[in-house]
Amino acid sequence: MAAPSYGLIATFDTTPALYHAAEKVRDAGYKNWDCITPFPVHGLDKAMGLGRSRVPRISLAGGIIGFLTGMSMIWWTGAYDYRLTVGGKPLFSPMFAFPVSYELTILFTAFATIGGMFIVNGLPMHYHPVLKYDQIRRGMDDTFFIVIEARDPRFNLANTKALLEQAGGREIKELEA
Amino acid sequence: MIGAVGLVLSAAGVFLSPDKHGPVMAYLVAVTYWTAIAIGMLMMVFIHHITDSSWSVVIRRQWEHGVAAFKWLALLFLPLLVLAWVKPGFTWPWMDLNHALHGHGTVGTDILYQKKAGFLNLGMFTGMTVAFFAIWVWLSARIRRASFNQDVDGSVAWTLKNRVNAAMGLPLGALTLTFAAIYWVKSLEYHWFSTMYGVWFFANCIRGALCSTVVIMVWLYRRGDLNGILNKNHFHSIGQLMLAFTVFWAYVTFSQYFLIWNANVPEETFWYNLRELNHDGSTNQWWYVGLVILFGHFVVPFCALLSYRFKVTHHIIRRIAFWILTVILIDLCYNILPALKDEHGDSLPFLSINLLWVITSVIGVGGVCIWAYLRSLPTTKLIPIRDPRIGECLTHHE
Repeated sequence: MAAPSYGLIATFDTTPALYHAAEKVRDAGYKNWDCITPFPVHGLDKAMGLGRSRVPRISLAGGIIGFLTGMSMIWWTGAYDYRLTVGGKPLFSPMFAFPVSYELTILFTAFATIGGMFIVNGLPMHYHPVLKYDQIRRGMDDTFFIVIEARDPRFNLANTKALLEQAGGREIKELEA
Repeated sequence: MIGAVGLVLSAAGVFLSPDKHGPVMAYLVAVTYWTAIAIGMLMMVFIHHITDSSWSVVIRRQWEHGVAAFKWLALLFLPLLVLAWVKPGFTWPWMDLNHALHGHGTVGTDILYQKKAGFLNLGMFTGMTVAFFAIWVWLSARIRRASFNQDVDGSVAWTLKNRVNAAMGLPLGALTLTFAAIYWVKSLEYHWFSTMYGVWFFANCIRGALCSTVVIMVWLYRRGDLNGILNKNHFHSIGQLMLAFTVFWAYVTFSQYFLIWNANVPEETFWYNLRELNHDGSTNQWWYVGLVILFGHFVVPFCALLSYRFKVTHHIIRRIAFWILTVILIDLCYNILPALKDEHGDSLPFLSINLLWVITSVIGVGGVCIWAYLRSLPTTKLIPIRDPRIGECLTHHE
């Protein structure tokens, strides 16, 4: 390859065309690639061979941290740092620490979910190489694209181009990095 | 058939057992249990219509068959009602004004009863119970008729009609199930009060209905009926609801316990004391049952249902469903059976012959309910094929 390029972009006119092309790219074993569609296409994740999101694991971690924060905070303030008997209750009981822990579980889960979603998606992203493609705005209107990145181990300019052509893509262009 | 055997065994229990309270209470547990599941199914149909859902159209048909059990449940409740008239105070102590209270006077001289007498009297109890079943049978007949008629003519009017039924049925259902829980279960200890009680019962109703639905779904899927109709996402959705109502149940049940624990007022705490301690301060079996409920009814299902894989794998979600169905029964036992007391006023233990009568009654009443469901099942199309949202349901996706 001469100049370093970001990858190849191919245009598709209909959802079924894109869907079946995605299946072909998936079956060819590519990993670093994406579809650009003007609207959500149901089942496309499967056609692309995407697994389930990793965000729930981050949410779970957030939830556990929130729960432990609540419990330890109540214990630390009431039973350790400033021992205070309230209403004849024990210095610490999971009973009255529970409402706070439960609220913090929800709060931290929400933070972790939103934060995790940003991290997993690589957001915020102010620039993306496909933005240089002059036709890209049609991807918000009536056209579908498949982008295969050059960093994919299977990427080979000629072969990948042939694959996209064979999958029905037209106007296959190389993207500047 | 199995139901008949169970009922015969339970009846035998009443006659054979030296203390007849046990089998009767066990029977109350069983009737409440299956009624709760039927109420849950009825409420799920209403929720389906009021939210104009599409994913649950196929599953809704199974709920419509499930609510066919109400008229038989009414019949099965009849013995308890007759017993209440023949021997007042036998099941619900407040019905007998001469019933001696432990340590102080009788029900009739008890100011806490006198103040509640306008609500807690035999006439009201009977009238309300008859009204509950009448309303449930009537509402389920309405939603069944509209839905089944739609199979024939495909008119959207039936869907709109059921939406009205749902709008009417939700408040009616909420009120009736709350009062049913108060009359049938909570009034066993009429001194006690909890504003969470109806909500607690509702949570169990819905959880019971969702879990039975999962059992039915897997059964019909494996038999081939719903194979190719139900996809992963249907199981995921119902699993999410199971998780949501697990949290809801825990929230309500914990709130009830926590507020009573925090306020520490004897009028309320005695209810939990009965379920933790004997009069001499030793821990009784109900304390451990309470822990089983805490972990089995919340912690275990909650953690299990967090997993996507568990929710969509048929044999796992079915196992979770059976688990929750079992713990709901234990929860009802926890709420009903400690009303049985020995001469010291201590609750009779959980592990006793009464548990056997619980099992026979549950099989008995359950057999009748399942028979009612199976009798209704072949009378209609397997799925509401002409529901306006059937297409969306069949292609249900995340």
